Amino acid sequence: MAAKIDNQLPKHPPYKLIGKNYTTPDLIAKVTGRAKYAEDYRADGMLFAKLLLSPVPHGHVRNIDASEALKMPGVKAILTVDDMPKPADAMTDLGQRIPANPLGERGLTNDPVYQGEPILAVCAVDELTAVEAIEKIKLDIERLPHAVDPLVSLRPGGPNARVEGNVWMRPTAAPGQPAPPPKVAEVKWTDADFAEYKDGKLPMGKATDPEWSYGDVEAGLKNAALVLDETFVTPNTSHQTLETRTAMAYWQNGKVYVHCSTQSTAQTAPAIARWLGLVDDKGQPDISKVVVISEYTGGGFGSKITSSIAAIIPCILSKKVGAPVMMRISREEEHFIGRARPSLHGRLKVGFTKEGRITAVDMFVVMDNGPYDPQGDANQSGRMLSLMYQPPAMRWRGITVLTNTPPRLSQSQPGGFQGIALMEPILAKASRKLGVDQVAIHRVNAPVGKAPIGPPGPNGKRLYVTSAYVQEALDRGIEQFQWEKRKAMPKKSGSKARGIGVATSCFVGGSIGFDGLCVIKPDGKVYIQSGIGNLGTASVSDCHRVTAEMLGVPWEKCEITWGSTAKNLPWSCPSGGSQTTHAHTRAAYAVALDAKDKLTQIAAKDLGGKPEDYEVANERVFHKGGGRGMTLAQAAKRAVELGGIYDGHELPKGINKMTVASAQALAGQGLVAVARDTMPRDGQTHSYVAGFAEVEVDLETGKYRILDFLAVADVGTIIHPRALGGQVLGRSMLGIGHAIGQKWVYDQHYGLPLAKRFHHNKPPTILDAPEKMEWAALDIPDPETPIGARGIGEPPVGAGCMAIVNALSDALGDEIFRRAPVTADVILASLEAGKPATEGLTAHI
Amino acid sequence: MAIVRDIMPAFELFQPATTDDAVGLLAKYGRDAWVMGGGLDTFDWLKDRIKRPSVVVDLSQVNDLTGIRPMGGGLEIGALTTLTEIVRNPVVKEKFGLLHQAAELVASPQIRNQGTIGGNVSQDARCWYYRGGWKCYRAGGNICFADTPSAINREHAILDADRCVAVNPSDTAPALIALEAQMVIRNRKGERVVEAEDYFIGPATDITRMTILKPGDLLTAIRIPDKWAGATFYFEKVRDRQVWDFPLVNVASAAVYSGGNIERIRIAVNGVAAHPVRLKAVEDAVRGKPRNAATADMAGQLAIQGAEPLRYNGYKVPLLRNLVKRSIRGVEEATWAS
Amino acid sequence: MGIVEWATSPWGEDVPIHISFFLLWVSAIAGLLFLIGHAIWVKAFAKPEKFAASGPPYRDVHIPAKVPRHSLAARLFHWVMAAAMLALLITAFLPKVGVQFPWVTYHWIAGIVLTASILFHIIHASFYMDFWSIWPDKIDIEDAGRRWRRATGKDSPAPRRFAKYPLENKMYHGVIVLAGLSVMLTGIFMMFRVRTVLFPRNPYLFGDMTWGLMYVLHGLAGVGLIALIMVHIYFAVRPEKLVITKSMIFGTLDREHYLEHHDPSRWAADGSSGRAKAAS
Repeated sequence: MAAKIDNQLPKHPPYKLIGKNYTTPDLIAKVTGRAKYAEDYRADGMLFAKLLLSPVPHGHVRNIDASEALKMPGVKAILTVDDMPKPADAMTDLGQRIPANPLGERGLTNDPVYQGEPILAVCAVDELTAVEAIEKIKLDIERLPHAVDPLVSLRPGGPNARVEGNVWMRPTAAPGQPAPPPKVAEVKWTDADFAEYKDGKLPMGKATDPEWSYGDVEAGLKNAALVLDETFVTPNTSHQTLETRTAMAYWQNGKVYVHCSTQSTAQTAPAIARWLGLVDDKGQPDISKVVVISEYTGGGFGSKITSSIAAIIPCILSKKVGAPVMMRISREEEHFIGRARPSLHGRLKVGFTKEGRITAVDMFVVMDNGPYDPQGDANQSGRMLSLMYQPPAMRWRGITVLTNTPPRLSQSQPGGFQGIALMEPILAKASRKLGVDQVAIHRVNAPVGKAPIGPPGPNGKRLYVTSAYVQEALDRGIEQFQWEKRKAMPKKSGSKARGIGVATSCFVGGSIGFDGLCVIKPDGKVYIQSGIGNLGTASVSDCHRVTAEMLGVPWEKCEITWGSTAKNLPWSCPSGGSQTTHAHTRAAYAVALDAKDKLTQIAAKDLGGKPEDYEVANERVFHKGGGRGMTLAQAAKRAVELGGIYDGHELPKGINKMTVASAQALAGQGLVAVARDTMPRDGQTHSYVAGFAEVEVDLETGKYRILDFLAVADVGTIIHPRALGGQVLGRSMLGIGHAIGQKWVYDQHYGLPLAKRFHHNKPPTILDAPEKMEWAALDIPDPETPIGARGIGEPPVGAGCMAIVNALSDALGDEIFRRAPVTADVILASLEAGKPATEGLTAHI
Repeated sequence: MAIVRDIMPAFELFQPATTDDAVGLLAKYGRDAWVMGGGLDTFDWLKDRIKRPSVVVDLSQVNDLTGIRPMGGGLEIGALTTLTEIVRNPVVKEKFGLLHQAAELVASPQIRNQGTIGGNVSQDARCWYYRGGWKCYRAGGNICFADTPSAINREHAILDADRCVAVNPSDTAPALIALEAQMVIRNRKGERVVEAEDYFIGPATDITRMTILKPGDLLTAIRIPDKWAGATFYFEKVRDRQVWDFPLVNVASAAVYSGGNIERIRIAVNGVAAHPVRLKAVEDAVRGKPRNAATADMAGQLAIQGAEPLRYNGYKVPLLRNLVKRSIRGVEEATWAS
Repeated sequence: MGIVEWATSPWGEDVPIHISFFLLWVSAIAGLLFLIGHAIWVKAFAKPEKFAASGPPYRDVHIPAKVPRHSLAARLFHWVMAAAMLALLITAFLPKVGVQFPWVTYHWIAGIVLTASILFHIIHASFYMDFWSIWPDKIDIEDAGRRWRRATGKDSPAPRRFAKYPLENKMYHGVIVLAGLSVMLTGIFMMFRVRTVLFPRNPYLFGDMTWGLMYVLHGLAGVGLIALIMVHIYFAVRPEKLVITKSMIFGTLDREHYLEHHDPSRWAADGSSGRAKAAS
């Protein structure tokens, strides 16, 4: 039966390189420690910068007395917000102006809105001098009321995190126009709204984010066999990249060279140009004035998509003092400026048929947004829920509350994770209430094929995804995890209880429209230019395997250039939102097609016949069916002789100006293949993971062990199994961290964080990983992209976290926890009390 | 003064080669001197610029402070012996398995390679208010920030709190108390030996110190008598993470059973008070009783007498009760045959 | 070294946290110097006290052999308060000089005893005793001037005899009231910072600055009391004052002492106030 279904599923042709393991070009440097990260660079006369961070959660700097500091020998300069450019408007590729948020970050500030926000930077001959100078600076700060708990801020008379108010209002965009900048307003709920707070139920006062819905929610809930109304709270978690966001910068001939830590290479140049106010006459970032160097990045997880605004501090200091400036970011500073996932307080009313099919979802979320730009997590949580569980009717409401806590930013599966985390405990509880198997209830609600997602658009129609094979992933999991066998085992023995859990998860898995660039040189090698960031996912080289595969070139004859925008890189996607594998296997496919076109044209010119009579394989372009042909080396040589379109002297229209500049610099070196991905796509690209877990809980200590974990990915064609496995398990682990211990802790009286270091925030260690951990991928190509590959970085997070959480409730029942993480104290206190004993709604405990 | 963390201030560094030199330096510089063993506690304080000693006496070159030596049927362990050395020592493992287990559960392998037994027992409290540089009682101020209506005190004390509610985080300390170890302390005036139990002090006695060591004092060795050699040991540490974490609560017991009865027993716990707590009342109550579930339950209940939980650490009460219970009757392991 | 110890608050603000504890030595040494100085002065320089005639001698015939000075209630109050005060000083300052013991509970309990006894005293003194007898009056001020002039060799009429309390006694009481009420009131609030059985802890009752100033006031008054109590005990054991000390034990003064030092028109020997009598 299963085999028969398998036969109906799409399959990709056999590949030589795609789907095979290989040694990535950065591997040896990394494992031998020779890889140079931003902090490892030195330049002649380099000075050091240190930051003075705000001691208060909310305040106004009335005066800075730096006279004593500036008198110290070795102190070169002090940078304050007065030296920083104003937030600049962004321009879309279509020339649309996206106005800057006037309440956005500028890198330094006189109006700190969280403890740890940089107020000024001191530049000195060494760090110790800079720090001693900082200690001599006298700040006169007026303290303002602070809020670190969104619900406290929403209370009648509650404090506001910013002078302007406590809630982001998001105006909706006119059709075809970019959204106007959001505004901060004061919103307070009533005491009546808070009536249910004491019962641990999320109050639902006025929601201010644009509400959306589809279907008949009321009828869905009314006709349901079971309606659950549940509150769940997800944690705030720092990104905690191992490499902090250190940056070193210097200026040469009007151009700034920035060594920084970033997820993306090509995209970081315009970001830094914009932050520095380096724009051309059209208002576009002037990337000719910025060189970004970032060959290796020690993790990003969404916090360094285009580096971070702190990177401009050494840039501006360097200009001011006329010397290179290194700003190393310490672990504590990284806690403050290193970004974090916003927590969601969620309350969902969900209806089920007696078979477990969802009839309707009514979702309400409060997002702890931090003090700066409004994040998309709240809305995305609803969108992803609508895709993952396919409710036929759904309403989403939300409110984005500002708090005086470090700024938030997308973190692996932003919003998607929270949506999954809010919904999964309800699905698990419904499975127990209805007597439906956990996997079955996920299966019956899973998206299939071109499944709809999110609210209806302006045309009244809902968007849909390119493909979804979640049921197949669950089926694979049932088999591989031996679900039925484990299900039959007893739940309690001795002082231990055990449980099994399953969770499904999804997220965006790819974008389109980026450029590829490579040169086939007369030495017969293919020189591939990669604007992708090397953030540890291997996509910087993986994607280009497609080019080699299509050109029939052995990988050993491909040279990849990456990591510096001075090295003629093409315009690439931001390495975030798991779009790279999809976007750049497409771009690599497009550039390979361009190379093939040019090769067959050259062959036809030289050897006669039409280009379509020729094919490219085994390092040759040759007449179909055998006979005349030439090597790629010969063709490259001919391309140089032919010039024009063949060696890059004439470039196609539609490619990005960064690609143009790079291709022009490479012109004449061989056959220059350059193309933009303009291939069609029907649907929104998403990836999926089904997670399975087994836990054993010690009922006398509350501690639990994760005995086994399996993640099955529906991620399209497998490009690089080892990297894929690393992503599936690594990101599952990121999610498991959310389940077992990672969090923030704040003292609400002072509005200050208590957990600022690794051993406080408790990212999981290797010994906290499941004792057995496996992954699988379906390897079913996505029908809407040439190679069929989608991104994987996001969906394992929710699957990892919630498979554990669901296994815990399987072991312990529904009366233990109402929030993540679920730690030993939560379990033991609740077991002792016979009901959830940990405060449900207080933030940051 | 603006606050900057995570960069070490300047200080004068001394690296004496002998215990005599070390003691001499400590006598000379008194309160200005900071004793550094493995550096794990030290560097946290120094790098955060919270403790600012003018003189650091680094003991790493004092060879006579390291090593594990037989002594009258028991052992003498130099204070500077690393936890890894203790874990690997066959005699410790064979005769004093309790210390072996406790040392093996400290922090992480890297930290055990560097961290010393002397440092582990003498380490400062880990309260995040105190460590965050908040000027609390323990830091010489006039308030306990961890015992306020809005404080987050999940990891704090349930016993013997007196203004300060910090806990002692050592894993080896309760094991040493259970083994009736003795601490050898030297200063310029000479050497004295105190019971491990008396080495630790609570905030009621001195709110700024964790041990009886005063400026000028140096812990040179820990002696383990043979009283409990080869006894039945139980050590359990409950922590959030399985490595690189301090105990929420730990328990150490050494017992001699005869004919199913508890002939003699010593039990100590940590993570519940500012000092490791020897459960004398429990020991007295269970002595002579059969080693069974009823005795274990009674011991657990007795252990939590007088416990006063704070807002977020109520779980420590059942945790302490259950760990003490287990320290007598062991863990009821699961058998998962379906 | 300042007299106040400052700290950085969690918000990075400079706040006082308590007095510098060297002040306890300053206070102790100041007290000691005073007594040494006083002892030398009495021995070497002081002239015997001379009083102006205090009125017609016929009044003296009514004076009993033992003149009641302190009622039983007043004496009990004094000794309870003294015990509490000593307990407070010992529990407060011994740990600061290195004698360590769990002092906080004893300290606040002694504080409660002191507070209760002071409250009793205020009520008792206001309604059952001659409230004004302990406060300096016009004659006290004039006589102080006379004494000063005579002591410095200038010509001046002899001072009159005392009312119930000599001026020094009254001034001492005034300072003690100030210091005592300061430690008492600040101490009561400080109990919100420790665990007591009396009320729920609330260390955030005041802001960091207010708390800091409160600790400083408590400390200043506390160390001040070291000197004050030293001086008090010193006078209590001085031979010429022993009769007064005894009166605090037995309640009465000898007739001779009374007549020599006190003016029956200002303090009637039957225990009522001279002033009240004059008015009646």
